[in-house]
Amino acid sequence: MIHTNNLTKSYGDLTALDALDLEVKEGEIYCLLGANGAGKTTTINLLLGFLKPTSGSASINQLDVVEHSKQTKQYLAYIPENLMLYPSLNAIENLDYFSGIANKNFNKKTLESILTEAGLQESAFYKPVSKYSKGMRQKVGVAIALAKDAKVLLLDEPTSGLDPKASFEFGRLLQKLKQKGVATLMATHDLFRAKEVATTIGIMKNGQLKQQWSVDEITLSDLEKNYLETMSYNTIEL
Amino acid sequence: MILTTLKKESKELFRDGRIRIAFILVIILTIVAVIISAWHYKDINEEYVLAKQSEREVWDNQGEKNPHSAAHYGTYAFKPKYPLALIDQGVDKYTGTSIFLEAHKRNEAQFDEASDQTGLARFGNLTPDFILMFIIPLLIIFIAYNSLTKEKEMGTITLLNSQGVIGFKLIFGKWLAVFSPLFALLFVLFVATGIILSSLPDFGIFSWSSLATLFLAYVVYYAIFINLVFIISGLVKKSGIALVLSLSIWILVCLILPKTASNIAEYKYPYPSKQEFAENITKDKKEGLDGHNPWSEASKALEKQVLKEYGVDSLSQLPFNYDGYRMQKGEEHQAEVYFKHYKQLKAQYSNQSRVYSQLAVVSPFLPTRFLSMSIANTDYTTHWDFADAAENYRIETQKFLNEHFAEESEYGDWSWKADADFWKQLPKFNYEPPTLTENLKHNIGNILILLCWLLGSFAILFFTTKSLKNVKI
Repeated sequence: MIHTNNLTKSYGDLTALDALDLEVKEGEIYCLLGANGAGKTTTINLLLGFLKPTSGSASINQLDVVEHSKQTKQYLAYIPENLMLYPSLNAIENLDYFSGIANKNFNKKTLESILTEAGLQESAFYKPVSKYSKGMRQKVGVAIALAKDAKVLLLDEPTSGLDPKASFEFGRLLQKLKQKGVATLMATHDLFRAKEVATTIGIMKNGQLKQQWSVDEITLSDLEKNYLETMSYNTIEL
Repeated sequence: MILTTLKKESKELFRDGRIRIAFILVIILTIVAVIISAWHYKDINEEYVLAKQSEREVWDNQGEKNPHSAAHYGTYAFKPKYPLALIDQGVDKYTGTSIFLEAHKRNEAQFDEASDQTGLARFGNLTPDFILMFIIPLLIIFIAYNSLTKEKEMGTITLLNSQGVIGFKLIFGKWLAVFSPLFALLFVLFVATGIILSSLPDFGIFSWSSLATLFLAYVVYYAIFINLVFIISGLVKKSGIALVLSLSIWILVCLILPKTASNIAEYKYPYPSKQEFAENITKDKKEGLDGHNPWSEASKALEKQVLKEYGVDSLSQLPFNYDGYRMQKGEEHQAEVYFKHYKQLKAQYSNQSRVYSQLAVVSPFLPTRFLSMSIANTDYTTHWDFADAAENYRIETQKFLNEHFAEESEYGDWSWKADADFWKQLPKFNYEPPTLTENLKHNIGNILILLCWLLGSFAILFFTTKSLKNVKI
C-alpha cells in the first residue's frame, strides 16, 4: 500500500530525508520513531504530496504520489498531531463536510454510526467541536478516515498530548482499522504505544532509517535501549 | 464540493454572532433608508404635482395682458423626482428642481435640497445608495476577510489538502457562501423598492427593467468586491493583515480614487466661474439684437432688411406688428448666445466625464456609480437634458407669445392686450427623461470597465487559489 524507494528530500545542503526505503502492507501498522527533526514528518508530507521529493519515489496503492497526487489522496486519510476542525460546527457537521469534499455523502444516521465506531460518545455528537478535547478531535479524525474508507492512514504524532486513557482508546481504534486492512504509517515519540499497536517499528535519525524490526522481534525494554542508543544517549547516565 | 462548502460556510457564517449582528444592522439601516427615501420621494412628487398645477393655473388665469408682459411674468419648468431616485439620489440634491422661464434670459435650476439644509447635511444622508455603494462593501470585507486565512491559521487547510480538495472549487463554495446572503438581501431590497414604487405615482416612468438592470449593476459590483477580498485573503497568511489590506482597498476604491478622479477631471477641464460665464454672455448679448432697443445698430439693420423684404416705406405698413417681430428676433439672438455658451459648458462637462470614465478603470466604484445614477436618471447628463428641454420650451414659449403679439396687434400699440383665454393655448411643458436603452448606450464604456473588473478579478482569484495547494506545514 505504502512504498518508498530511495526517497530523499533536501533543502540546500541539509538532507531532511536520506534515501528512505519503506514498505507498509495492507493491515500493517508501521511506527516511525525518532527525535524531532529525524525526518518522520517530512516522510509523511512527501507521501501526502505536500512536498516534492528531491530524488527517489513514493507510491500509495501503486500510484506515484507526485504524478498522481490527486488520485492517491482518494485512498489516504491523514491525522496530524493537532487535528483542527471547524470550531463552530459539531462532530456530525465536520464529518459531513470532510467526507462530502471527498465525494462521500452520508445521511445523519450513518454519520452517527461512523462517529460511534470511531469511539466518540453519543452525547458529544451535536456539541460544537470548540468544546472538544484533543482526544475527541482525534476520534473525529479517525471517523473522517472511516467515512472515507481510506486504505492508507498517515498519522503524525497523534497520541502526543493525550492522557493515558485517550491514548489507549486511540491505540484500540488503530487496531480496529488494522483489522479492516488499513495500512498505517504513524510517526510517534510514544515507544509504549508503538510497541502496543505496531506490526513494524523503525527508528530514524538525521533523515535516515537506522533500524527496523518486526514487533515480535523486540521487547519494549530492548526497543527503548536501542532507541536511546540510536539517539546517542548514554543510558547509564540516564 | 462547491455545494458542500457553501453549506458548511453558510452555517459557520451565521453561527458567528458578529456577522449576525452586522447583517441585522445592515438590514435595519437599509429598511430605514428605503422608508426615509420613499417618504422623501412621495413628498417631493406631491409638491411637484401641486407646484406644476398651481403654476399652470397662475399662467392660465393671468387675464388680459400684453404677451411680452406675460413673457417677463414667466413660468416654471419643474423636474419630478424619478422613481429610481428612491435607490440612487445621484446629484439630484445639488442640481435644483425647477427652472424659471422668462423672456431674454436662460436661468439655472434652483431650489436644490442641499442649499435648504443645515450644516449637518455635510455629514451626508442615510440613503439606499450610500448603503449600497459604501456599507455593503464594508459588510463584504467583514464577512469575507478571513475566508481563506482562517483555514491557514486554524490548520484546517492541511486536512482539506489531504482530502484532495480542489482549490478553485473550495474557493467558489466559499465565494457563494458570501455572495448568496448579499444577493438575497439585495433581491429583497429591490423587490420591496419595486413594490413601493409601483404603488406611488410615478408619472409613467417607473419600469421593472430599469430596476432589474440597476440590481444587476450592484450584483456585479459586489462580485468584484468579494473577489478582491478573497484575493487578499488567499495571498496573506494572517487574518489581521487581510482585514487591514481589505479595508485599505475599500478606502482607496470607494473614497480616495473617486475624489482624486473628480479633482483631476476638474483640474484638466475647469468650468468658468459663474461671474465669468455671466459676463461673457452679457458681452455677446450686447453685440447682437436687443428686442427692447429699437435704436441700436442691429435694430436699425433689421428694420432696413424687413422694410426691403416687404417692399414698404414704414414699419406701420407691415402686415404685422414690427415690435413683436423685433422682440422675437432679439429673443432668437439671445437664445443663440445662450446656446453657444452652454454648449461650451457642456463640452467641458463632456471632457470631465470622459476623464472620469477613463479613470474609472482604476476603481470599480466609479463605473458602478455612473451606471447607477444614469439608470436612476439622477446623473448630470439627465439634468443637462432636462435643462435643455426647459430652454427649448422657453424659446418656444417666447416665440408663441411674440408671434401672437406681432400678428394680432398694431405697430407701436404696446397697450394691446391678449384675451384672457389665450394663455391656455400655450402647450404644457412635458419632459421625458432618457430611456433605459439610451442610458445603457451612453454608459457602454462603464459597462465594459465593470465587466473587465469582474473577469479580471475572477482570473486573479483563480490563480491565487492555485497557491493554496502548496501550503507549507
